[in-house]
Amino acid sequence: MKNTILTITIIITVLLPLITLSAGESNESTRGLWSQGTAHLLPKGRIEVGLFQPLRYGWSENLEFATHPLLNFLMPNLGAKWSHKPVAGFFISTRHSFYYPTPLLRVVSREGIGGMISPEFNIPHMISLYNEILFSKQITPNFLFTGKAGFAFALKSGNLDSRSTIDLPLIFPRLAIFYNGYGFRFGGDLKGKLFKRWFFLVDADLFYVPDENEGFAFEHKGLILWTKSARFQITVGYKLSYAEYPFGTQWHLLLPIFDFQWAWQLK
Amino acid sequence: MSYLTGKHFRLLAFSLLILILASCEPLVTQFEELEDSIMYSSKNIKAPPTTVDTVTVMTWNIRFGAGRVPWFGDSCGDRVMLTENEVLSSLEGIVTKLNQVKPDILLLQEIDVESKRSGYIDQVQWLLDHSYFNYAAYAPVWKAQWIPSDGLGRMNMGNAILSRWQIKEAVRIQLPLRGDQDGLTKYFYLRRNILKTKIALPGMDNFYAVNVHTSAFSMDDTKQKHIDMFTAELDKISANGGLFIAGGDLNTLPPGASFTNYCPDELCPGEKPEDQEGCDYSLETTWLNQLYGTYTPAIVLNKYLSDEEKYFTHTPDWTGFWDRKLDYLFTNHKWLSGSDSTHQETTDLSDHSPVSVKWEVPK
Repeated sequence: MKNTILTITIIITVLLPLITLSAGESNESTRGLWSQGTAHLLPKGRIEVGLFQPLRYGWSENLEFATHPLLNFLMPNLGAKWSHKPVAGFFISTRHSFYYPTPLLRVVSREGIGGMISPEFNIPHMISLYNEILFSKQITPNFLFTGKAGFAFALKSGNLDSRSTIDLPLIFPRLAIFYNGYGFRFGGDLKGKLFKRWFFLVDADLFYVPDENEGFAFEHKGLILWTKSARFQITVGYKLSYAEYPFGTQWHLLLPIFDFQWAWQLK
Repeated sequence: MSYLTGKHFRLLAFSLLILILASCEPLVTQFEELEDSIMYSSKNIKAPPTTVDTVTVMTWNIRFGAGRVPWFGDSCGDRVMLTENEVLSSLEGIVTKLNQVKPDILLLQEIDVESKRSGYIDQVQWLLDHSYFNYAAYAPVWKAQWIPSDGLGRMNMGNAILSRWQIKEAVRIQLPLRGDQDGLTKYFYLRRNILKTKIALPGMDNFYAVNVHTSAFSMDDTKQKHIDMFTAELDKISANGGLFIAGGDLNTLPPGASFTNYCPDELCPGEKPEDQEGCDYSLETTWLNQLYGTYTPAIVLNKYLSDEEKYFTHTPDWTGFWDRKLDYLFTNHKWLSGSDSTHQETTDLSDHSPVSVKWEVPK
């Protein structure tokens, strides 16, 4: 099964862009000002936020900050993205993020309805640091490809019982590093223009946590984006997940997923 | 400008359809009125007896391998997730008991096959592979990808029948859902059933084993409906000329039981009396009359009433001894006289003790 997943990932992230590959310069008509998920940074002073996407702020031409504002109450988090010199026609940036999930996990570790973790377990203080390199290239006037590779590690103040896992798609792979200590993530996005204000985005991500029986996960997302303007965008689509869990492997299709995103330009 | 062509769109739509079809599994599994059950076989098939005079039958609610751990859901406890060692230790104890009694057919209730609380151990397969049983049929009672309460998570618990002989047919018969719950709770709650199997007993082609676990905590007439449906299913077998052994955890007391209200003694710390469920049997004293009147129990009523404590099979008190009888075996043929046993020595293996008896094979 892993081989199948790897093949799908390679097709989506590498071969598909190669099919349409032709040298091209970065083209704002494809990515627009909405650069989420690419190596490109927000212009200085631009703010973007979505219902489910983080709030991002262009601090300067080569630095932006991001955080999930509502989640901050229960899971303090902050990320920074730096742009670097282009290499071989690829726009390069690195992203460095910090998460402190302990308060959130303690809230869902409870008796009764809403209890996602048994209250018999102690949730220690934990932080994770995620470091990622992104490289984007305009492969045709209508296709923007972005590749990603990242490494995450976690620190914790005490033992986290292996039975306290939340064995659900999207959540389990992202919390796996707190049980193992470190993990890797690779992925690719392809964004294209359909017509006028309509765009699409397909991506694929691999999560790998070494030394864990349940250390492999694959996620794929397909989105249609309607960009009303540089200030408002709607996305709708699906997310497919395949992951190893303590009970075995399972596919999940999450449908529909959607988001509303807004943007402002500070002077 | 060249946008996506129609060919690209069709490819995308087809791919999406394949993805949808490949991943349709509901959050909570619901069942048809009648479904095939899930069949198991041991990794190592052991030759079963080819001629038999009696068949030893046992029923046992094994409490998902939790032994007497103070689990939050049934014993005023605070435990939710068992360790793998706790479950394996309990299963090993169950196998030791099985090896002593040597039942040929085993009716199990509350057996987990893929539950987070019991370390995701497939207990049906484990018991087959670590005992002399060859075949099993399993009918899920509580199957969900995720139970959003108390950290329970993934759940797959049900009834099973284990047999030395091949199970030729096995059907899961849906019982009514509780009528006293709100819609959301009911959606995530247990879906109890009757597991009816036809077993290839040597020389017989009309022998059935039937297993049931009726409602434990309903405060309306759900349990009565379960018992009535169970009786009706046995009536059907009899009407068609079949012979059966049947039983399970009926969650109610024998007719004439001297003590019927356990609620005052079972109030958990912080619990209000009005929130207690499943401890007062006062209104149920006649619910088993028809079963006792129509079929032959492993322990006849007079025998039970002459020494009730000797036949008790259950207690929710994880430090206490058995204080009531909830587990039964019936047949429409004959039990070997005096062959019944209520194995009360199994106090550390479950909150129910097993009951066994020998069934006389018709000549």
